[in-house]
Amino acid sequence: MAIIGEWFRRLSYLLRRQAMDDELRREMEAHRDEMNQAMGEARAFGNTLRLREESRDAWGWRWLDDLRQDTRLAVRTLGKTPGFALTAIATLALGIGVNIGMFTFVNTLLLRPLHEGADEVFAVHGRTTGDPGDPGDPGDVDTLYSYANYIDLREGTADIAHLAAVSTTFVGVDIGEGTRRTLADAVSSTYFPLFDRSLARGRSFTAEEERLGLSSRVAIISYPLWRARGADPGVLGQSVRVDGEPFTVIGVAAEGFTGTAIPGPQVWLPLGPGWRQLYVIGRPRAGTSVEAIATALATIGPRFDQASPLRRGVYTLEMSTPSRLMFMPGPVSKVLTASITAALMIMPAIVLLVACLNLANLLLARGHGRRQELAIRSSVGGGRSRLTRQLLTEGLLLSLAGGAIGLWLASLATGALMATIAPVLPAGLVIPDLTVDWRVLAGTVGFSLAASVLFGAWPAWAVTGRAVAADLKRRSGEEGRRPGGMRIGNALVVGQVALSLLLLASGGLFLMSAIASATADPGFRLEGGLLAEIDPDLAGYDEARGRASHLAVLDRLRTIPGVEAVTIGSSVQFSSTSDSRDVAPVGAADARVRSVGAVFTIVGRDYARTLGLPMLGGRDFTDAELAPGSERVAIVDDALAERLWPGESALGRLIQFLPEGLEAGRAAPPEAAPPIRVIGIIPAVKHSLGNPRPFPHVYVPLGQQYENAMTLQLRLADPTAERAMLATVARAIRSVDERLPVLRVETWRGRIDAGLDVWLYRVGARVFSAFGAIALLLAVVGVYGVKSYTVSRRTREFGIRMAIGARPRVVLWQVLREGGRVTVVGIVIGLALAVAAGRILQSFLYGVDAVEPVVLITAPLVLLASSLLASYIPALRATKVDPTVALRAE
Amino acid sequence: MMLVLRVLAKQSLHGYAIAQRIHQVSADELRIEEGSLYPALQKLLIKGWVKAAWRQSDSGREVREYRITPAGRRQLEDEMVEYRRTARAIGLLLDKA
Repeated sequence: MAIIGEWFRRLSYLLRRQAMDDELRREMEAHRDEMNQAMGEARAFGNTLRLREESRDAWGWRWLDDLRQDTRLAVRTLGKTPGFALTAIATLALGIGVNIGMFTFVNTLLLRPLHEGADEVFAVHGRTTGDPGDPGDPGDVDTLYSYANYIDLREGTADIAHLAAVSTTFVGVDIGEGTRRTLADAVSSTYFPLFDRSLARGRSFTAEEERLGLSSRVAIISYPLWRARGADPGVLGQSVRVDGEPFTVIGVAAEGFTGTAIPGPQVWLPLGPGWRQLYVIGRPRAGTSVEAIATALATIGPRFDQASPLRRGVYTLEMSTPSRLMFMPGPVSKVLTASITAALMIMPAIVLLVACLNLANLLLARGHGRRQELAIRSSVGGGRSRLTRQLLTEGLLLSLAGGAIGLWLASLATGALMATIAPVLPAGLVIPDLTVDWRVLAGTVGFSLAASVLFGAWPAWAVTGRAVAADLKRRSGEEGRRPGGMRIGNALVVGQVALSLLLLASGGLFLMSAIASATADPGFRLEGGLLAEIDPDLAGYDEARGRASHLAVLDRLRTIPGVEAVTIGSSVQFSSTSDSRDVAPVGAADARVRSVGAVFTIVGRDYARTLGLPMLGGRDFTDAELAPGSERVAIVDDALAERLWPGESALGRLIQFLPEGLEAGRAAPPEAAPPIRVIGIIPAVKHSLGNPRPFPHVYVPLGQQYENAMTLQLRLADPTAERAMLATVARAIRSVDERLPVLRVETWRGRIDAGLDVWLYRVGARVFSAFGAIALLLAVVGVYGVKSYTVSRRTREFGIRMAIGARPRVVLWQVLREGGRVTVVGIVIGLALAVAAGRILQSFLYGVDAVEPVVLITAPLVLLASSLLASYIPALRATKVDPTVALRAE
Repeated sequence: MMLVLRVLAKQSLHGYAIAQRIHQVSADELRIEEGSLYPALQKLLIKGWVKAAWRQSDSGREVREYRITPAGRRQLEDEMVEYRRTARAIGLLLDKA
């Protein structure tokens, strides 16, 4: 308690400093007078000034005074050399700015809590331990449950946790200019109350609405959707068309609310008892421990009948953190995005490092130039630590200024980045804005401080060494060769050059990859292909009418002049979103071959022909097989055939689809899948942009399974007319049934260019090339700066040389050669780093090797040329030194 | 510092008077220099063991007088107890060892 009083007193001193100092002075004067009076002589009172200082220091605010003084002096000193200050601030702004930009991105996607109370929310997942009889079986994890399971869980944990269920799906939402397929979450009535302040308006679903499910016809819309509809404050009670049906809006989600993952849905619908594939999340009740919930879950687990006949392990329920990034389109892209994210923070850090090396060098050079000033200050009593503090303060000011500007630059850049991502996303999704929150600000300050320590500390210490008499006399220009200082300076330049080369080379690899992916051969004929997406569900059609729609549209499109072939498919080849099945041979099959994972597509007739692929064997589907009830047949590609029956013909063989690991949520477990006969073989196409190897595919006809959302593919006789045909095709589809919404009509080329994969590569190329360019710029500036100072320090030497008769050109070459030597060393080291980086990048970049001669030759050449150019001007200045001026004594 | 507190415990004095008193009462043995007195007084002020106020001295001068506070008295007692204990221990050591 006494401490509080003490701090209070210290603070009040701070506020009344002037007055208290005056008091002390008066007091000491009075004391001295009295003493003189008593003693009758002017006795030594002691140094009043020093006593006053000591007394002042006792209050503990000395550091504040020092800081103020240092700052004022730093501002003055930096102001005297505005060129240096601006260069330094600009350098730092670039270095810190790229870090902040990337950090903002990473922060929004990975770090920032998606909603309030996020860390309390947990997800429930089930784990099946491995089959005790099979040591190689790693067990399985599932996250999806049936509604009955959810109710079970909810009741079992009712007194210790709040639970909610959510299922994600796609629906068609009418947002003014036509129907758009968007992400939607079906949620239980307990979902929105799980989060704090998740609703901006209206209310959550009631238990009654949950009982009715979708039949209740109520919906909650997202904040951006509300804004897109005009941000009408009277939105509650209005109607929104979902899948063709009118739903009443009963609430608007809070701004930025996306649930537990990003991207988030545009609309929330009530869950109902018929739903399967639910994701269960929860939040502990106040005062409950995590262990209590874990125990409760463990009790409920065994009641679930989740084990499929093929699995024999033990089933348990566990808590986990909900997965944050929900929409991961396919295996390869997931690796790609994860790796890019990791690499994302490394590259800017390297740029910052280059910037700091730059500045360290500049500060070092500047410090040597200020040696006289510092020598004077040190000899009148400035302690070394005080001087170092002074220099550090200068560095800190520079970093903070650079950091502030960098923050501004970063916000501009991220704004531009967000603008390019919106048109590329597959469906109507909600992404939180890349905003600057406290984490980013703290990061800014952190980066600035780190930068200032990195480039400031060591030069400050080096330069404030004990003053030598000669330093007091020496001025710039008479330094001569000081091997120690030069070596360090050169080492820093080597570091910069090496790192710049690393970034340039990496940027080059990304560029090559982007170009390669954009021009990649997908394995089927790209030119002259059109795509159109339709979805009868959005018009409210059931299966029978949907099938009829599909066939009707196919027939109509075949009649369009210029169309060679038309087909339809449940997914599109060469895209990263597709369905898959485990395909296993039936009957006398090779015992080693258990099953092969293959891309599964439901197709109509003429699929191979539309893609421009030849039939390798067998036949296409007949019209009869397109209707339900026909014999179960399939077409496979040669990749699948080779895997299942190596070296033998696949025609006539039987295959089956194995049930997926844990098909939780189905009302009844699937019976042993009926065998399917292979009746045709076509060449394999590539899986996606990131996966260049042909991937096994299996195709079944329309009759075997119904899928509402289908994509029509057309092959045009004249590829050059593809853009003109887009409108014709759209009109034709609408003429068949105007209630059927046409979701998208595009050319293959257009689709690839707009695809997420290509966008990622392209953005990656742009970003890393930008990093490389910035690093190059920094390195060039660094080389220029160092060379300038070196030359200016050695004017006397150059003057003498030329006085003795050395020709200016020789001096020029000498300077250039020295610069070149350093650069070459840096390039050699940089090449080693670049190759190492290449090996890492190669694993997830498309179409590049670790060692790409083009990159590894161009980048060093660029660097060498730039650095020679940068050295040229100082070198020229060296030759302009007037020998008589330089030789003159001080 | 303990000495200053002890002096002030008896009566409130200003800086010069404190120095004088210490010198007198210790039979001219102890003299406190101004260089130590003033920083010590500041510390006492910070810790809240004394309070200061300007007033007219007997000789008509404006002096800043220091007065001990209850917290200061408590501190003085603690320090005196501690000092006596230490002194006794040293005495024992010097006598017996």
